Amino acid sequence: MGNSKVLIVDDDPDFVAVMKVVLEREQYTVATASDREEGMSQIQAGKPDLVIMDVMMSTWSDGFEMSRKLKKDPRYKDIPILMLTGVEQKTGIGFKSTAGDPEWLPVNGFLDKPVEPQVLLDEVKRLLCRKE
Amino acid sequence: MEPVPENIRLLKGAYWLAKLRWIAIVYVVVGTYVAHKMLGVNLNDGALYVIAGLLVVYNTTVLVMLNRLMQADQQVPCRAANKIASAYNMVVWVLFNRFTRIDPHVSCKAVKRIINFQICADLLLLTVLLHFSGGIENPLVFYFIFHMIIASILLSMRESYLQATFAVCLFGLLVLLEYEQIVPHYCLTGFVSTCLRQEKLYMLGTFFVFTTGVYLAVYMANYIAIRLKHTEYAYRQANAMLQEKDRIKDEYVFRVTHDIKGHLATIRGCLSVIVNRLAGPPGGVQEADLIRRAHKRTVKLANFVKALLQLTQMRLTDESEMDVCSLPEILQCAVGAVEARAEEKSITLDCTVESSVGDIFGDRFSIEEMVANLLMNAIAYTPEKGTVSLSARSDGDGVLVEISDTGIGIPEQEQGRVFDEFYRAANARQLERDGTGLGLSIVRLIVGRHGGEIQVESKEGCGTRFRLRLPQGQGS
Repeated sequence: MGNSKVLIVDDDPDFVAVMKVVLEREQYTVATASDREEGMSQIQAGKPDLVIMDVMMSTWSDGFEMSRKLKKDPRYKDIPILMLTGVEQKTGIGFKSTAGDPEWLPVNGFLDKPVEPQVLLDEVKRLLCRKE
Repeated sequence: MEPVPENIRLLKGAYWLAKLRWIAIVYVVVGTYVAHKMLGVNLNDGALYVIAGLLVVYNTTVLVMLNRLMQADQQVPCRAANKIASAYNMVVWVLFNRFTRIDPHVSCKAVKRIINFQICADLLLLTVLLHFSGGIENPLVFYFIFHMIIASILLSMRESYLQATFAVCLFGLLVLLEYEQIVPHYCLTGFVSTCLRQEKLYMLGTFFVFTTGVYLAVYMANYIAIRLKHTEYAYRQANAMLQEKDRIKDEYVFRVTHDIKGHLATIRGCLSVIVNRLAGPPGGVQEADLIRRAHKRTVKLANFVKALLQLTQMRLTDESEMDVCSLPEILQCAVGAVEARAEEKSITLDCTVESSVGDIFGDRFSIEEMVANLLMNAIAYTPEKGTVSLSARSDGDGVLVEISDTGIGIPEQEQGRVFDEFYRAANARQLERDGTGLGLSIVRLIVGRHGGEIQVESKEGCGTRFRLRLPQGQGS
């Protein structure tokens, strides 16, 4: 589990810093990207074991689009995706219930922001175990 | 309440007319019996009962026609079941005045055709009924007016005037034929003392009053109907506007909560890591970094809330302390407020105020804040070692203040939206992530309050210029 590579794609540098501290403490190797394009470049440069991403970045649907792109690509479709956002409570769209839908929201896990460090770690662990 | 579509309104009107007809049928039967048997009025009661019978058949036909019309566009899986449903629909409507099903695609033209048919047939049967019950002697003659009012409510103005003309023609023909003895006249002996058929002046007078009465009824009913339609339209417009405002308000709340929650989530995240002792040793570099980030976001959140409150307060109140104040002094103060920030980025800050610029009538603090806001924006979006300039000169009966920079500029397609609340151009978001998106909205509100105007000229990659024109007002 430790040394697994986790890529965080989020445009909030402070939030990224928090997650980085939490994950690095558990010996994960953390890479970061601030938008979809940078995230895709990072993945192409070195395939991560898990991607944690926000929904709203440059556009409100950046996270959706990136997750769909990854799951359609045979090279990356096995990378588990954890979506982490605060959009659900504001839009009323039930992301959790649709997480995993191959068309609408092809992600493997979903957490609401703000997230407690232990909850984040448990979810990361669960997704990495499932992958193995 | 949702507005009723025109076709449904007409359909309900057509059914209402059929319902009224049942009452009229009862009225004819009871009226004939009472007048003939109890009051001893000489009536051709047999013919009148036949007319009542005809009315029953005709009204049933109308209801069948209306029911067929309602089913025209519906998928009918079973003909028998559909007939039962249709009959049930009709019975429920007659008893409880509501429909069990309405086809929303019923054509207006088709319903109008049935209404026109109903009114024409009613006028014809009323004329026949009058003929067998004393013709011009019968006061029921003024029942024609009811149909004119109904036609004006349900049909177009042209159609209602055509119906009025049809009624006048029918009545005129009846009077003429009876007067000329082409058809027999059934005198209402027992109701009138003498047969009025031969009273030429009475007939002409009654016909004249009838004709004018019918046309006046159509004119008045149309006038009222049109006014009601206009009022309804105005209410619909107002309702649509309110719904749109509601949508904008919801969007506004969404944006505000999104921004506030973003800051709070980060602050909570930073503090959670520290509280759970996940950030290395207490007082260590990591902990200090997280505390610094939490503090920075707290300051940003406070600034955001402050700007939001200011904007809301400005919208809610028109109060501002307007007085004569020196514009050069205000501009100097605004420049002074941003000098430190410009120095940090090694940005050259030019300020040129022509001697012709003097006093201005306005709210000193608002104007200073507005200019400082524009200067801060210019500095924020200008790379290091760039230039930000402020100039002011007299311009007719006002003052022209220009704030220009050598910054990143605003993409052309986004220039029209920079004053919208929460809007931030894409390149601005990339360079400075945490702007509130409210600064320029506040600027626009302040300019509006002073009766001035603001324009933006920009070229992406070259720079931006805000042209601010303020009237000198009472200060001139």
